[in-house]
Amino acid sequence: VRYPADLDFEYRCPTKVIVGKKAYKQVRSEVSNLGCKRAVLVTDRPLAENTDVVEMVKKVLAKYLAGVFLDVEPDSSFQIVDKAADYARSIDADCVVSVGGGSAMDTAKGLALLLKTGGTLADNLGINLQTEPVTPHVAIPTTAGTGSEVTHVAVIKDVERHQKALLLDGFLFPNTAILDPLMTVSLPPHLTAGTGMDALTHAVEAVHSIYRNPLSDANALQAIRIIRDNLVTAVEQPKDLGARTSMLAAANLAGEAFANAMVGVVHAIAHSIGALCGVHHGLANSLMLPEGIRFNAEEQPELYVPVAEALGVTEPGMSAKEAADRAAQACYDLAARSGMPTRLSEAGVEEAHLERIAEMAMSDGTILNNPRIVLEASEVMGMLKRAF
Amino acid sequence: MALVFPSEEWVAAYETAIQEHDDYKEGGKNWTYGVTVLIVNAEPDIGIDEDFYIYLDLHRGECLSCRTCTPEEGEKQPFVIRGDFDRWKEVINEELEPVKGMMQGKLRLRGDLPTIVRNIEAAKALVRCTSYVDTAFIDEV
Repeated sequence: VRYPADLDFEYRCPTKVIVGKKAYKQVRSEVSNLGCKRAVLVTDRPLAENTDVVEMVKKVLAKYLAGVFLDVEPDSSFQIVDKAADYARSIDADCVVSVGGGSAMDTAKGLALLLKTGGTLADNLGINLQTEPVTPHVAIPTTAGTGSEVTHVAVIKDVERHQKALLLDGFLFPNTAILDPLMTVSLPPHLTAGTGMDALTHAVEAVHSIYRNPLSDANALQAIRIIRDNLVTAVEQPKDLGARTSMLAAANLAGEAFANAMVGVVHAIAHSIGALCGVHHGLANSLMLPEGIRFNAEEQPELYVPVAEALGVTEPGMSAKEAADRAAQACYDLAARSGMPTRLSEAGVEEAHLERIAEMAMSDGTILNNPRIVLEASEVMGMLKRAF
Repeated sequence: MALVFPSEEWVAAYETAIQEHDDYKEGGKNWTYGVTVLIVNAEPDIGIDEDFYIYLDLHRGECLSCRTCTPEEGEKQPFVIRGDFDRWKEVINEELEPVKGMMQGKLRLRGDLPTIVRNIEAAKALVRCTSYVDTAFIDEV
């Protein structure tokens, strides 16, 4: 492994990470350690109504809980973040505790920003605008996928434009991430699979990103190994706490990797599929990952040799191109073994949508991080057609 | 004679460079999204006593106006990009691609990122146009 002489990067991982069975019981002390006394708990109604996890966290927070915002929806929107901010201001919240998947954590990031800046999310659109810390945020993921608990990125849907907006700011890293397998055991198999493939996509895209570096590679490749060995178990045996903890760790590692190395064309397309067709983000990533690898490997197959090694699909004497092909196929196979759809047509995407998806992907910020420059929407269209 | 960056004179020469060369006419032909303001953060130690605002009114490959402006006028424009002098120096020296600088937190963007991404060729053309200005950096004069 050799990096170029002009390697030049910054690496940030400011979030305190607490891992373990019953780690959620530390949420109150974490809120207190941050100097806060009035937490707003941000979550979604199905999680609160169908599982025990929200009640478990509420019970621990006790007098530190100022109120609960239950209106997070899949693919959070500007309107939901603004509504959360109105609510949090009304209860005089001084910190945010998110309990949920990527939508809850991303909503909480937007909320933490607005509690500091005032106004609406539309007033605060931009990149790295903040000059001082936002409102403290403790994140408790209930999925093992987004890694949002250790990233400074929030993806929020702009409903009017049918596009996903990227909030990116060094002050959006949550202060604390609590990874507890008890928070994920009630996740249904299809979401365990979808979020797990999301984590795999984060890791692979961090490895092929133009911002890849030795630290992000180390985390991403270890994430790939863990996912290889634990995703199917977590899907098939939901109560296996070892598999659940492993997947939380993998998602966290992949999140840290892509927070620093960013993601590329697979995410650009997946964001657009999600915004236009409402397909779950992890599923959209999973559907496009093999084609993204094949597209990039036409120019830079060597990027995928370590990915193939981490996936355990290399053989002595294999060429870089063969390794890349094996890596793409291994990702496809892992999705299939996890019971996920493997074609866009099986996931509710209509052929008539493909052209618009390709156009939207060309204006997604993540496409700029891709190792192979994407010059025309027709190149994205080619990937979409092959994945359809 | 080399013109000092940042200064009124440099901005005037930059306007001429954008207008007289074909780089922006081609690269910026799809830009119809309003004024972009570039801000060099104040750094009194090297002679930048106040934030320095550069107002770029660009439309369909044409530079309608490139001038300095007040903070009040600058801050209300649709695209505002702010950075330290050293970062802008890297941009002018083509050592830092501006959109990459935004993604890395070296430049701060207020405005709609997808619009910038769709028009990355316009941003690149604007950077190329700085090479037509004989530039002396304020920390070196």
